[in-house]
Amino acid sequence: MQELLNTLTLGSIYLLFALGMALAWSTIGILNFAHGAIFVFSAFSAHFISDFVPLSMPAIILISVLVGATLSALTQWLAFEPILKRSKNHRSAELRILIGGIGVAAIPIALVDWATASAPFGFANSSYSTQVYEIMGLRITNTSLIVIIAGVGIAVGLTLWLRRSRQGLGLRAIGVDSETASLMGVNRTVMAIGTMAIAGGLAGLAGALQVFQLQAMGVETGDQLLIKAFAMIVLGGLGSMAGVILGAFVLAGAESLIFAANMGTWVDAVSFGLIFLVLLVRPQGIFGRQEVRRT
Amino acid sequence: MIDWYTANSVVIQATMTTLLLALSIQLPLRMGVFSFAGVGCFGIGGYTAAIAFTKFGMGTWTAVAFGTVLAGVLCYLLGLLVHKLTGLYLGMATIAFALIVSVVATNGGSLTGGASGLFGALGGITNLHVFLLLAVVIIGLAISEAGRFGRKIDTVREDPELAVALGINVTRYRKLTFLASGLIGGLAGAVTTLLRSTITPAEVNFHLVVVALTVIIIGGSSSWLGAFIGAVFITWLPTVLSFVAEWEPIIYGFVVALAAIFLPGGILGLVKDLRHRRGARRGSTPPPEEGAAAPPDDEPHAPEPSRTPVPSQGGAL
Amino acid sequence: MSRPSHDAAEPQMIFEADDVAVHFGGVKAVDGLSFGLPEGKIVGILGPNGSGKSTLVGAITRHVPLTRGTLRFLGKDYGNDRAHLVPHRGIARTFQTVRLLEERTVLENVLLGTDSLSGGGRAERRLAHERAQVAMQRTGCEHLAKERPDELSYGNRRRVEIARAIAMEPKLLLVDEPTAGMGRAEKEEVSALMMSLRAEGLTQLIVEHDVQMMVDTCDILLAMNFGKLIVEGEPRDVVRNPAVQEAYLGKQAVNHA
Ligand SMILES: Nc1ncnc2c1ncn2[C@@H]1O[C@H](COP(=O)(O)OP(=O)(O)OP(=O)(O)O)[C@@H](O)[C@H]1O
Ligand SMILES: [Mg+2]
Repeated sequence: MQELLNTLTLGSIYLLFALGMALAWSTIGILNFAHGAIFVFSAFSAHFISDFVPLSMPAIILISVLVGATLSALTQWLAFEPILKRSKNHRSAELRILIGGIGVAAIPIALVDWATASAPFGFANSSYSTQVYEIMGLRITNTSLIVIIAGVGIAVGLTLWLRRSRQGLGLRAIGVDSETASLMGVNRTVMAIGTMAIAGGLAGLAGALQVFQLQAMGVETGDQLLIKAFAMIVLGGLGSMAGVILGAFVLAGAESLIFAANMGTWVDAVSFGLIFLVLLVRPQGIFGRQEVRRT
Repeated sequence: MIDWYTANSVVIQATMTTLLLALSIQLPLRMGVFSFAGVGCFGIGGYTAAIAFTKFGMGTWTAVAFGTVLAGVLCYLLGLLVHKLTGLYLGMATIAFALIVSVVATNGGSLTGGASGLFGALGGITNLHVFLLLAVVIIGLAISEAGRFGRKIDTVREDPELAVALGINVTRYRKLTFLASGLIGGLAGAVTTLLRSTITPAEVNFHLVVVALTVIIIGGSSSWLGAFIGAVFITWLPTVLSFVAEWEPIIYGFVVALAAIFLPGGILGLVKDLRHRRGARRGSTPPPEEGAAAPPDDEPHAPEPSRTPVPSQGGAL
Repeated sequence: MSRPSHDAAEPQMIFEADDVAVHFGGVKAVDGLSFGLPEGKIVGILGPNGSGKSTLVGAITRHVPLTRGTLRFLGKDYGNDRAHLVPHRGIARTFQTVRLLEERTVLENVLLGTDSLSGGGRAERRLAHERAQVAMQRTGCEHLAKERPDELSYGNRRRVEIARAIAMEPKLLLVDEPTAGMGRAEKEEVSALMMSLRAEGLTQLIVEHDVQMMVDTCDILLAMNFGKLIVEGEPRDVVRNPAVQEAYLGKQAVNHA
């Protein structure tokens, strides 16, 4: 049971991170390789500010979310939009966005690396303190609770918003066919930047919560999480938010099992292996539909 | 000249090994195959060579050959599995492959030296050897870029459906590119490891993918010459400009992002484009194009060419 | 829905399709077509947008998988061939949207037609060059040999594509809307080119919306609608057929009569 709870916490952080990535990828078609760097940099910004002024938890989270959203929107505006405008075909755009993302990612990561001298950072100066509750023999921290509630709540909310609301429909229309969408009066550029801001905000949220949960974060966390998130998204099936939720918890569960079996050094192989397995056996993922591409 | 060489022999060596690694990724990209498996093969080649050399007492070149061939074979098998995947999916699957190599190396016990890697694998490789190997690889690649072969590869990349309609066996090209990429990557890994005498699992990581991509994107992805320019650029810039060394990751980040946005053909693409434009201006005055200026007639179906006004970049991205 | 009746006097069929169907999920793009292409003739396909013409061409070249049916070329069933083998059998095609390598010269684009079909020896390469040269002359783009396609007008891009297909020296040429986007004068050139190729015995299948040109150029017309063959026969008869008029010409007859 305790294991399950830990899995749930881990999965919720994965989920928050992957949701943003999945949202941008499945709607505006951007797989942002700087998502991991944004995650790290947002949390670091909060850490940096909280070193000067003691901040409460909500303030730290707010800073992290805002930094993430800004960074992500800027990336879209300054890098990805120009690339899309200058690409002659989809394949070329895809590769250039991947490379552009990698280039952009290097900048904040290098800054953090330089500022922390590669040491993990935390929110030592925050007014927040961890408390442990015991409920029916289960030990749960207040952080875990917050993480799980935020993760599951936002995931469900986002899923519903995409399905029900007008903006959500517009966004999904872009994902399906951007030409039709623009006929429907959806302003692609504004939508794209907005979507990326949401995605980045989610990365910032995940970053702050991760630091609260684990007390510290290393610079390299971002890249690892990026690949894990990819595994979650392909497992669930691109385009399906429910799939991301499933993917996050399956991955977290599998990793917990590996740890429980005392095979911690293999833990990264789970996500890499999962990517492989899914792409080979069921490339459209569990909930994904087969892609029909017109020539 | 001799002085210059001795003073810079380490950098020259680094340039050559970086170039080999970059070439292993560039070849599939030239075919439109988003495979970063070359990085995994770098690990396989490096570990195999180091193990053969230190644990089985093989000679330097036998060890290198082992590493190269094993990497090539494994990469080919990987290609058989994944060649149907496209775009980012293939990219991520091959990145996953590279990272799995690293995890396996971490868990390989005494054979791979676990997390701390293997030491003491100092083979008898000189810069001249590396140069000759590199020359062989480059000659092979240059052949694949010239004439018919080059045209066919360009078509496989730019428009696979067209390639098929012209009688090109696209699937075979795709599969063979995995073999070639594995061989080059394995060679790069084996040579680098026996030069440096060590390899660790941490080296075979995402960062290596980034390095290889940086080389290619800066120089240009359409030709080995582009990779060469890129390799020279990133290994020599820090030695020339000391402030670059300090801010290296940030500067490279900027350069890579800017190149992805503005110079998809890299430095080489830029040069080629300028040359072509100058050639076109000097060349024959175009004869009057009869009908070219005629307005599209009244056909309701005639689709107006919806060609985006993209400045041609002479690159292959 | 009238199945075409073949005269005994008709010449040898170089190509035959029997009950060919291509379905994309629920979309029956091509739905049970049977027809033959007589050797040395130009056969045209008319049909409104989305009636399955391009899909049919793709089916013949094995680009789109068949849902059912058989394809025969020169008497051999090739319905299980992988697509890249089809050009080696002697079938060349052009695409509805021009597809050229933008970073290669016109000459190189035309040479591409020969690259996979002939060997790499010196003599063969020279021969390929000659073929490319001839193909460019015939399509009227030899003066553009050194240009890049992205600098050309739409009509000229079309010519390059046709030249590439001709350079393949096929026994059967499939052209999908060769004159889309061309002016009247250019269209007539293309039409004249096709007739001169016919004079050399090349069998051709043309998809084209320009009814006048089709009537002038083709020996036989097939009219398609909703993936099915509705009428087949003499061009003038087909065009006058009420079913065709209704399916296709209704909205266009005004423009072209
Ligand atoms: N790859 C595909 N997947 C799904 N549907 C397709 C695909 N290709 C074509 N279709 C559908 O099949 C039908 C026939 O299309 P096709 O392109 O063959 O028509 P066409 O007669 O060539 O039309 P046009 O005159 O506009 O070129 C259309 O409804 C089209 O939407
Ligand atoms: Mg069509």
